[in-house]
Amino acid sequence: MGKIEWAMWANEQALASGLILLTGGIVGVAGQFRGWEFAAYAVAAGVFVCLLEYPRSKRAKGTSMERSGQYCFTVCVKSFGPLTRNYYVRAFLHAGICVPGGFMLATVLGCVCLAIASLIYLAAAIRGEHWEPILPRKDSRKPVAESIKNPPQNPPPRPPPETRRKQAKDVEAAAYDNPMTVTDDE
Amino acid sequence: MAVSVRSWVANEGGKHLVLMLWLGANSWLFLSTYLLYSTGQQYHYLYNMLGLGLCISRASASVLNLNCSLVLLPMCRSLLTFIRGAHMVSSRKTRRLLDKSKTFHVACGVAVCLFSVVHVSAHLVNVISFSTSYSDDFPALNLARYRGEDPKRILFTTIPGVTGVLLVLILLLMFVSSSYCIRVSNYEIFWYTHNLFIVFYIILMMHMVGGALKYQTNVETHPPGCLRANQSGPKRQDEDLVRAEDDESRCREEARFEPHYPQTWLWVSGPLCLYCVERLYRYLRSSDPVTIVTVIRHPCDVVELRMLKKNFKAQPGQYVVLNCPGVSSFENHPFTLTKCPTVNKETFGIHLRVVGDWTERFTQLLLPPPRTDMEILPMVQQRIYPKVYVDGPFGGPSEDVFNYDVSLCVAGGIGVTPFACVLDALLDGWRGFRLQRLYFVWVCREIQSFYWFAELLCALHHKLWQENRPDYFNLKLYVSRTDSLQSMSEERYRPLASRLQVGRPRWKSLLDEIGKSNKHKRVGVFCCGPKGISRTLHRLCNSARSGGTTFEFNKESFS
Repeated sequence: MGKIEWAMWANEQALASGLILLTGGIVGVAGQFRGWEFAAYAVAAGVFVCLLEYPRSKRAKGTSMERSGQYCFTVCVKSFGPLTRNYYVRAFLHAGICVPGGFMLATVLGCVCLAIASLIYLAAAIRGEHWEPILPRKDSRKPVAESIKNPPQNPPPRPPPETRRKQAKDVEAAAYDNPMTVTDDE
Repeated sequence: MAVSVRSWVANEGGKHLVLMLWLGANSWLFLSTYLLYSTGQQYHYLYNMLGLGLCISRASASVLNLNCSLVLLPMCRSLLTFIRGAHMVSSRKTRRLLDKSKTFHVACGVAVCLFSVVHVSAHLVNVISFSTSYSDDFPALNLARYRGEDPKRILFTTIPGVTGVLLVLILLLMFVSSSYCIRVSNYEIFWYTHNLFIVFYIILMMHMVGGALKYQTNVETHPPGCLRANQSGPKRQDEDLVRAEDDESRCREEARFEPHYPQTWLWVSGPLCLYCVERLYRYLRSSDPVTIVTVIRHPCDVVELRMLKKNFKAQPGQYVVLNCPGVSSFENHPFTLTKCPTVNKETFGIHLRVVGDWTERFTQLLLPPPRTDMEILPMVQQRIYPKVYVDGPFGGPSEDVFNYDVSLCVAGGIGVTPFACVLDALLDGWRGFRLQRLYFVWVCREIQSFYWFAELLCALHHKLWQENRPDYFNLKLYVSRTDSLQSMSEERYRPLASRLQVGRPRWKSLLDEIGKSNKHKRVGVFCCGPKGISRTLHRLCNSARSGGTTFEFNKESFS
């Protein structure tokens, strides 16, 4: 029940697989294992996937949590327009990127994880989701209420003359005038 | 705010002690297994072939065994509720540790992920070593079929290899979908992927079948490094051949190797069985539906639900988990009890705030919107309520409010629900508890929210005034939205109106005031509200207070 936003999960999965691909690639290149060219490719592919997936999309309903420092990445990714907005493109792109990783032992895990992320993106695309950039909101300040600008023109109303005379005679009673009775109820 | 040692130890000491014990257990396991494999006689030949990768992979495997078994225990909620409730068994310190059970689960989970990375890397190096250092002297020791076999083939055609790959994939799925962001926005993804743990454990118990690593069984008769029949020792050609035939350096028989008996099931089966029994118990306990007695709509999107269930017993501060098949078959949502069943009145109640799609749909089923097209006839409508199943009750930190001499309860918005149950229990009979004084601070955004429990607060206040204990209950209400003038104008809510302040509370001066009136006492601080409030209060409780009062911080969170 309820709309699940698959894209958010796909985004987390893809970011994690980018990191794993990068790590596997570094290990493969450093150890100079057999097929280390695939590892070098995996380093580049991992960096690309991380950069693409770092900015989170805005949620359709609810508050979106930004990753720290994602604004510049958002601007870069947004500039590609429909290529990055559409999740079908992302699904097939990830499916394509992950294939060369499967040829070397160190990058196999990154390949499989990216394939899973690609499948989840496909599910998100079929559900009709798309990527929305999270842009900073411009807060419009509320206009200051009118009454603050105009102080009252007239002094407060004075009590009638009888009460004024009473107040002048009995200063103590005039000073303390409780609007509410003080009881133990309070 | 300087951190005072005494306050810090009172608040954080227990948690950090458990953390140290756990880290110590992990380190000891890692080191002892490492030393066993690097210096043990029975692993000498294997160590020569595989090197450091053997020791690191086996050491991380033993740490993984420990953490995979520990990770299930904090999730046995009924067991923890029982331990919390059995006062003879546990002291207040242990109960405070139980509040952190989810944190411990996360710590064990993170340890499983970290050490899996170490374990997998070390085993990948082992696979490559098996391939390149193929041993012709001891063919039984080899995993590869021939020298230079492709490591990927070794990985994908042996049981440990294939199960290992599957385990890593499942672990990764579980880890990625349990991030905070996904739990908050799409809890179902987290829940369904996390339930893959059962597949994880089944595959884990099959992981060691096949015996990739073998140990030597006849160390006495074939001491490792001894010379074999057709070998001669180095640099001995010019010495007496008689002396070279020394018995001690000759092997009496060939080395024999046996694979390890799988050990993981010894570690894991106990907690797994315990958890499965617990889930079965919870399922059976929640299998008969509850009877809904009343549904009341309150201001600010809150609905109160009163229910009745046979043999349902609960303490103030506990929560239940609701399941409504009419809304969603598999979703379970926790709600704190706002009224516990007593001897006189057996109904129990919850207050739920309508915030997401499940609660919206549930409220629509409970209170169908009035149909404006039909004439409103004065007839008694047979209200057909949906079927609701209740699982619980489960323990929460707020159960301990009665176990301090002085308690401070801070509630933010709907976070007042655990304390409402406490106040209800006090209304029933306040004399039987250890609690001598209760400070209650409730911060809301709008004044309408106070109407949820206005009756309860006024009733308790009046009762205590009548029974000559005016200092027992100290109430402070705060409205945090300051832009519109708000006040409670009803006559019967006068005690609330005079205790209402506009603006956010100043926590430091509040704690100072409480500290001055309760010198040299231990005050229990219970917070259920937004993160900002709980962080500030936690920091204040850890810092130095004049007057010798210690504030013990307990937090209840709804996520």
